[in-house]
This record gives sequence, C-alpha cells and structure tokens, in this order.
Amino acid sequence: MTQLQARGLVKSYGPTPALRGITLDIDEGEIVAVTGPSGCGKSTLLHCLAGILRPDAGEVSWQGHRLDTWSEAARSRLRRTDFGVLFQFGQLVAELTAAENVALPLLLAGTGRRAARTAALTWLERLGVAECADLRPGEMSGGQQQRCATARALVTEPRVLFADEPTGALDTLTGEQVLTQLVRLAREQHTSVVLVTHEPRIAAYADREVILRDGVIDHTGLGLDAPLTGGAR
Amino acid sequence: MSLATLTRLALAGNRTDAARVALTALSALLATLAALAALTVLAIEKPPGDAWQQSEQYVSDLLSQPGLRGGTAFALVLLTIPVLALAGQSARLGAPSRDRRLAALRLAGATSGQVSRVAMLETGFASLGGTLVGLAAYLIGRSVLHRPDANGLLALPTDVLPPVSAMAAVVFGLPVLAAAATAVLLRRVVTTPLGVVRRAGRTGSPRPWPALLIGLGVLAAAMIEQIQWALQGAGLEWLALIALLGIFGAVMGVIFGVGWISHLAGRTLHRFARRPAALLAARRLTDDPWASSRTFAALLAALIIAGGAAAFRASFRLHAEIEQEQNRQAGYGGEIYYNPFYLDTMNLVDLAVAVAVVIAVAGLFVTLVEGIVSRRRAYAALVATGVPRATIGTSIVWQVLTPVVPAVLIALGVGYAIGRLLTGGVGRGGPQPDVPLGQLASQGAGAIIAVLLVVGLGMLFLRSNTAVEELRAT
Repeated sequence: MTQLQARGLVKSYGPTPALRGITLDIDEGEIVAVTGPSGCGKSTLLHCLAGILRPDAGEVSWQGHRLDTWSEAARSRLRRTDFGVLFQFGQLVAELTAAENVALPLLLAGTGRRAARTAALTWLERLGVAECADLRPGEMSGGQQQRCATARALVTEPRVLFADEPTGALDTLTGEQVLTQLVRLAREQHTSVVLVTHEPRIAAYADREVILRDGVIDHTGLGLDAPLTGGAR
Repeated sequence: MSLATLTRLALAGNRTDAARVALTALSALLATLAALAALTVLAIEKPPGDAWQQSEQYVSDLLSQPGLRGGTAFALVLLTIPVLALAGQSARLGAPSRDRRLAALRLAGATSGQVSRVAMLETGFASLGGTLVGLAAYLIGRSVLHRPDANGLLALPTDVLPPVSAMAAVVFGLPVLAAAATAVLLRRVVTTPLGVVRRAGRTGSPRPWPALLIGLGVLAAAMIEQIQWALQGAGLEWLALIALLGIFGAVMGVIFGVGWISHLAGRTLHRFARRPAALLAARRLTDDPWASSRTFAALLAALIIAGGAAAFRASFRLHAEIEQEQNRQAGYGGEIYYNPFYLDTMNLVDLAVAVAVVIAVAGLFVTLVEGIVSRRRAYAALVATGVPRATIGTSIVWQVLTPVVPAVLIALGVGYAIGRLLTGGVGRGGPQPDVPLGQLASQGAGAIIAVLLVVGLGMLFLRSNTAVEELRAT
C-alpha cells in the first residue's frame, strides 16, 4: 500500500533547478534508495518528501493527504510523530547526553521524562550503544553518534524514516554496521525508509533504487555511468 | 609575510566580518570619547590660591571644584568598562566564519603565528579607525559646544585641551591594547589547516568562592568608617584605595559568582525540567556556566554601581531633609533651602549608569546573536527533525533568564550594601535612610526588561538561522 506519493515535484534554488518534475511512490515498509551524482537533487527530494521544504510545483501526499499544503507547524508535528529524519552529521544536541538526545522527540510529544528515558535506553541498547547513554556527543565516536542519531530517529517508531547520507561521515565498516542495524530495525517495525546515498554499496541495502540525474529520475538504466549535463542540485 | 599582505588578509572577510569590524571600531570610538573626556576634566588647571580654590569659569560644581574633578574623571573612565566589554563581545561575532578563513590561511601555508597576527591586525586596524574618528568627533564637538552662557560660564570644559602626549596615548594606545587583548583571547585557540581547535579551558564545577570576594568587599566598605575614626583624618589616600579595592573585589565576586549561580540553576532546572526547552537550557547552563559570567559582566558591574548610587542618593536625601528641618526649626521664612548639589550629582551618576546599561545590553545582544549564528547548523537539524522553533526560542529564554534574575538581585544588593556602608548614617546613632526599595526594584526590573527585549530581538535571527539551507552550508 502506498504511504507517500510525489507527483511532478519541481524545486529551484534561485535560477538553479534542483527537481524538474519528480514522480515517486513509497510503499509501506519499503526501503527505497535515492542515488545519483553530487548535485542531482537527492537531498532536495528527501527534504520535499519529509515536508522540510515545500516544492515550487507538484504535490506530496502522505496517506492521501496533501502534505505540501500543510502549515509549517503541522509538517513539524508530522516529523515528530510519523516521520523520522537522519542526517549525515551535526544532528545531536552537543550539550545533551545520548539518552537525552534520544528522548527528545518523546519529550516533545509530551511523554513523561522517566518514560522517555526508559524508551531511550531501550533504543540505545537495540543499537548497541547502551554504554553511551550518559555521554555527550563530543565524548563519542562518529559511529556511536550516528547510532544514537538512528535511535533518536526511530524512538517514536515512525512510519517513514528519511536518511540523508547516514553513513557519509563514517568509515566503511562502521557505516555498514550502522546501516545493517538501521535496516534490520526498520524491517522489524515495518517502517518505510527513504535512503539518500551516492554509494551503490549502500544503495544495495534497499528494496528499490531510484536514480536521479539533473533533477529528474533516470529511466535509462545507465545509472551513474551516464554523462553529466549539470545544472541541478 | 609583509605588512601589506597581512593587512590585506586582515581586512578580507564577509558581511559578518564587516559587522564585527564596525562594532569594534564603534567600541573604540566610544572608549576614546570617554577617555578624552576624562583627560579633559583632569586638564582643568587649578587657579592660584589654596587647595580648595575653584575654577569659576564652569557652570557645574563637578568641574569647578578641584575636589570633585578626580571623581568626575573616574566616573568617565568607569564608562569605558562596558564599552570595552562590548568590544570583547564584538570580537566573538562571526567567529565561526573567521575561524574558517584563518584555517584556510593555514591550509595555504601560513604559520600559526602569522594567522594570529592577521586576527590581531584586524582588531588593531578596526580600533585605530574608531579612535581616529573618536578624536575627530572630540575635536569637532569641543569646538561646536564651546558656547559660554550669558554670564560667560561654560557647561563643559571646552576651554582646555589635554596634553598632546596623553591624547596620542589614547588614540594609539587603545588599538595596541585591543590587539594585545585579541592575542590573549587567542591563546586558547590553535588554528590548524583543518579548522580551529580550542584548548580546554576551565573544567569542573564552579565553586562558591566568589562569595568570599563579595564578603571581603563588603567588609572593606564596613570597616572604612572605623578606620577613618582611628586615623583621625590621616591617610585618606589609603582609605580610598581600600574602598576601591573592596568595590573591585565585590564586582569581580558578583561576576564570577554568576558562573556558580548558572551551574546551580542549571542543575536545579535539570532536576525539575519536564519539557525539552527547560532541559536544553539546563544542560547548556551546566555545560558552560562561565558563559553567563562573560555575557552579563558589564551589565552586573553597572548594576552594582546603580545599587551603590541608590544608597548614596538615599543618604543625601536624608541629609537634605534634616537640613530642611533644621532650617524650619531655626525659623527661616520663605523657601526652605537645602543644597541640591549632591542630589543633582546623583542624577548624573544615574545617567552614566543608564548609558552603561545600554552599552552592556548592546553587548548582550551581540553575544546572543553570535550564539544563535554559531549553532545555526545544529538548530537547523533540530528543526528539520521536527523540533519546533518555539522550543529552541524558549530554551534560549530559560538559559538567559535563569541566571540573570538572581544575578541582578545580588548585584543590586551588593552595590546597595557597599554604598550604604560607605555613606554610613547621619552620625553615630542618628537617623538612618530608608532602603530605597522602589528605586532598586525599578533598576532591577529595568535591567531584566532590557534583557528580555534583547532576547526578543535575538529571536528574530532564529528563523533565518534555522532555515534548512543551513544544512547545506559547509
């Protein structure tokens, strides 16, 4: 069953087009990798799908409702409840401990502090970083930080997880460990994943791969081997 | 690296760098004006005669009485404290982009020392620009304001000029001082080709030792009267020095004490916080409690002076009332006279304090905006993950207000206590002035409202700095 739909998405940054009419469906529990060369519009597509950015034209629908017409507050609320967002780096609050960072979305949703901490500890345990619960991001390795960020993105048990180059700042082995855990947990709770990456090795974890080139979906089958024409972000 | 190259690199930068340079220059301009004004007051020549011979050409007793000129000059010099604090806070503006620029210089082959010199030159040149404009403004203002009244009296000492050497020391000394201060501030910063590393500063929880400094300051003020009695008029210079050291110690105690207050407030807030905004603020307060000390230093120093001034005003008012009562009992008819000089002087002091508070609040604004700008990427990531901007804004309000409310109360209390002890009563066992609760409350409330206004203004920068585009910035 389709959870998230994009129809004819167009987005530009000033005179530079980033998306030029993207149409895409994400099914429930499906893991979709969005790949393509740097500047092809991958992150912009993810931001539009997650309601972080509003497209200039086209529609984004979440369970049949036009997400792109919602207010910013409503879209923020959706990202706290049904969506989870994971970035490459810089997403943990430096002053909060790992447990507090993971508990943050629950606290925002009104969960009591004790219950939020208990849930956070459970998720840190599931991601294998329980020993980091009381450490600050600056006291953790990059891999531990990314696991904590993954725990934070999953703690609300979102319906869709948006991950923008989640292993981009990690070494190959750590990146694969993080991704293996992310995919396993997503499958366990039947969470759809939109995974932006430029690495075919990471994209191989997905059920389906969508290749972007210059702001459009590449249906040529040439993938990253096709010549660049430039222009999109 | 040649001076020309260093200069070119020092003056390169983006709009934020230009704003920092402009604010540094403005601070230097204000400091120059205050310093030249103080020097001008000190340059007034004492007419021939005894030590109390007045310079009759001025309207104000603050200028004509030789015994008061030192205090007037000192008050003007005190005004440079918040100005210099503003300069220090301006230096932090746009620090991340400057750090990236300096790191790029290192990557291009510059040594760590050369990079530090670039930063020092930037401050030095900006300050020199400010002091030169300040000198020009002083000279033009002196000429424009030289307007004797109908009696030939001057409102300001526009008939005297400080020695050229003293003026040169201000105009060229301040930039050197500013550059040296930059070097000191950069001592914890190591610029590497891959970025800027800050050496670990003070670690561990702040201790309540600043209370000892406050206690010593109050004790010094309390003992002044006893020592004065014991010395029977001799050694007044030593008494003044003890009083000044006591006040300085108390001011330092209050400023450093804010670190301890912040840490304690952060721990308490963390214990009871139920919402994310309070939790974020609590962690930031405990994480860097000294940030509050740095942020509020100038404001608290001004409020200590304000509290002391309130005590002096209450004492002078009591004296005036007693004088009026004595005149009434003596049967003087018509307008009951009392000397308004001291109360008028306190109006000037209050004005100086108000100016100092405005400058301090401007510095607070710079710090607040710089804090938001330097965290913009983290804030943008939080907003992208669904954290409402209101939560971030509320956390900033918590972070500012939690330490500032007790700090303002303590500053006013300490200032008033010292002022009260220095003024003493009206003779031993005589009537004592009432505590000017209304004035102290309005000073405290005014300071907190000013801080709230600054926080409100800072929130305007939050939206632009949490835009998703920040996630793309390198």
